[in-house]
Amino acid sequence: MAIYARRRLINALVMVLAMAATGFGLLWLVLVLWTLLWNGIAAITPALFSEMTPPPGSAGGLLNAIFGSVVMTFIATVIGTPTGILAGTFLAEYSRGSRFGEVVRFINDILLSAPSIIVGLFVYELMVVRMGHFSAWAGAVALAIIVVPVVVRTTEDMLNLVPNALREAASALGSPKWKVIVMVSYRAAIQGMVTGIMLAVARIAGETAPLLFTALNNQFWSTNLNAPMANLPVVIFQFAMSPYADWQVLAWGGALLITITVLFLNIGARALASWGTFKK
Amino acid sequence: MSPATARQVMSLAPSDSPERRPDPPVRQKVLIRDVEFFYDAFKALKNITMPLHDKRVTAFIGPSGCGKSTLLRVLNRIYELYPGQRATGEVIVDGENILSPGVDLNLLRARIGMVFQKPTPFPMSIYDNIAFGIRLYERLAHHELDDRVESALRRAALWGEVKDKLRQSGLGLSGGQQQRLCIARAIAVQPEILLLDEPASALDPLSTQRIEELIAELKADYCIAIVTHNMQQAARSSDYTAFMYLGELIEFDETERIFTRPKQKHTEDYITGRFG
Amino acid sequence: MPADIVLPRVAATNSRRRAPGDFIFRYLTFLFALLVLVILGGVILALIDGALPALRAFGVSFLYTDVWNPVTEKFGALAPIYGTLVTSAIAMVIGIPVAFGVAMFITEICPIWLKRPLATMIELLAAIPSIIYGIWGLFVFAPFVQQYIQPAIIDSLGQIPGIGALFAGPPLGIGVLTAGFILAIMVLPFISSIMRDVFETVPAMLKESAYGLGATRTEVVLQVVLPYTRIGVVGGVMLGLGRALGETMAVTFVIGNAHRISASILQPGTTISATLANEFTEAVGDLYLSSLIALGLILFVITFIVLAFAKLLLLELQKRAGG
Repeated sequence: MAIYARRRLINALVMVLAMAATGFGLLWLVLVLWTLLWNGIAAITPALFSEMTPPPGSAGGLLNAIFGSVVMTFIATVIGTPTGILAGTFLAEYSRGSRFGEVVRFINDILLSAPSIIVGLFVYELMVVRMGHFSAWAGAVALAIIVVPVVVRTTEDMLNLVPNALREAASALGSPKWKVIVMVSYRAAIQGMVTGIMLAVARIAGETAPLLFTALNNQFWSTNLNAPMANLPVVIFQFAMSPYADWQVLAWGGALLITITVLFLNIGARALASWGTFKK
Repeated sequence: MSPATARQVMSLAPSDSPERRPDPPVRQKVLIRDVEFFYDAFKALKNITMPLHDKRVTAFIGPSGCGKSTLLRVLNRIYELYPGQRATGEVIVDGENILSPGVDLNLLRARIGMVFQKPTPFPMSIYDNIAFGIRLYERLAHHELDDRVESALRRAALWGEVKDKLRQSGLGLSGGQQQRLCIARAIAVQPEILLLDEPASALDPLSTQRIEELIAELKADYCIAIVTHNMQQAARSSDYTAFMYLGELIEFDETERIFTRPKQKHTEDYITGRFG
Repeated sequence: MPADIVLPRVAATNSRRRAPGDFIFRYLTFLFALLVLVILGGVILALIDGALPALRAFGVSFLYTDVWNPVTEKFGALAPIYGTLVTSAIAMVIGIPVAFGVAMFITEICPIWLKRPLATMIELLAAIPSIIYGIWGLFVFAPFVQQYIQPAIIDSLGQIPGIGALFAGPPLGIGVLTAGFILAIMVLPFISSIMRDVFETVPAMLKESAYGLGATRTEVVLQVVLPYTRIGVVGGVMLGLGRALGETMAVTFVIGNAHRISASILQPGTTISATLANEFTEAVGDLYLSSLIALGLILFVITFIVLAFAKLLLLELQKRAGG
């Protein structure tokens, strides 16, 4: 009986530890989000969205940074999404068991988790050095390179879920393969694919490292894609590391903006994903 | 099923109902000659030679794994979607061997339609489902397309049930309706031959009956080949029956003769339920 | 045959084999799939190309020299490499047990209605961008650690002879331990998520056989689930490690950016990515720049190896599970 009592004790202990671990994880989530809200809400004023980033010691906003982030995220999504979808389509529809497909899948998954600062370095060498200057284009390309592996993975996974019977039914009508894919497979997988794109956008919305050496930063309002462009993450980096209080406040505000966007996209993506399962 | 029972079942077949018009004269539409099929190294079909007659229903029967679905799928070369699967021999349709390398598969499949075991409506509206195949090959004016869609749905005995919801998703229909949708979709492209792979096996008895009635009507215009594991269905609905076992064609004859006076002992054993 | 026939018939059956649309589309998707490989190749080439001057100047000694002097143009990667490895190690030591506890709780203990929301919340930890952890770490966590945690550690663990040196020094708040701790929070959702997926693959019958013999939940998890999913668990851990190694912004804010190796983990240090983030745009001089790129190359090689290993393990698990 003593053995049994000991086993029960250990079991109870481990259960408690597991619960504690979960509580631990949740605690930090709550803490981070709470302090973010607490510190950032002070910065959420109309001025945040109408003024440019100020020099230290004066009031201002984040308009140019918000604009830059939106523009570069948009371009990166426009470049990266079709690339990812087409590559993912190849893996799902054309590469049945081929060595090449396996290699691409393997490499893609590694790129998925690779340090984003390396991507920044790569685009620096590729574009900034060649062009002779930093630019929003370079920033967008760096972000696009981060988007691609995410979209490839979700596209492939979603297309693989489409039942073969559906493809056969379309082929049996005499449809050429590309139409089977575009008009039937894509339609069947559209929900999952959109979810994947939303998650990819959520990922790049907060990325700083790739922009550090590509788009750099810009104090002023600029719509010139061929020049450094302000963006939220790098501005936050600069302002937060600085000793100036008003800059720090703006940094919190920007951080709150990014986090709200990212969480919104994430939760939205999940909602979209499960909405379908009820519809069917 | 004893020969006596078979005769009983046969007597219930549509051939005895007074309204049925006489069959048009028999004409061979397809000749399957020395066809063999391989899944990689495994030979799934051995030396199959048999005809399919126009405006008639030919049933493929046999126990699971005998190759009846495989044979069906040779006829529209749908196996070509999968590497490692290949067929040798000839399948001659109206004088042309469709297994030869030069054949355009897409056009071939527009001539030979297929309906699958499980209903497979596309994720689009009912209208678009039917129009899908038509749009692949023809550029029709709006009202012409509407007419074609309606005509296909009517022939599939589905028009009445869906005419008010053509723009709704095909996925919202019941199983039996979905299968009739797939049949409508297949006949919308006006094939000459229809291949039905156990079309009613996933459906309830009522829907199954409606599908069988539909096949009896469609027979007037198409050469139909149907795979079924339901012997009563084969006896009721078909004009010719092919009994297959382990990849070989054991016996092929008019359905009446197969079920009442089978030539092969093996056939008789299967029909009387001794195995399978 | 119905009267409304318009389709082209027999004559066309022997026309060209594949429509141009098929050929173009297949080739297009192939090109973009190839692009993935090209990107990887490009990254490697670009890094090697940029790092070459530094590698030529310093040779292999670059890897184990602890010097970083932009003025005299003497660079050695030891301090950043050390910092990268140590912060990641701390992240693993803290993160793995916590991730395991979370995975165990979600898969085996918590009620069904709680599973989805809980899992989503833990995954939100992964969604929060690195820079957010960074500023939170700098302004909230580090001061807290400086005031309460570090003095406590120094007074307790720091007094033990021998390992006390690991916990010595003035409490600064920022430093290697703080950075490692924040990294742990950041990687725990990744590790936990993979562990969860992998735990779910254990056939119910297997677990039921164990329960049926009267095993406690702990025993089932530790003696049935864990051995069964061993490979996947290791794969998940390696994935977390790969992430930790490459983390930049969170670490940059709280590590203190000191190019030195201290015995104490309470002291500031630097990692490869933090060095890059801080110094790259200010770097003057080709050798300086090249040394930084060389650091990037080293980081890439390390993370590539770790991630490739993780991927191979997870593929192996998939194969065995018949997936």
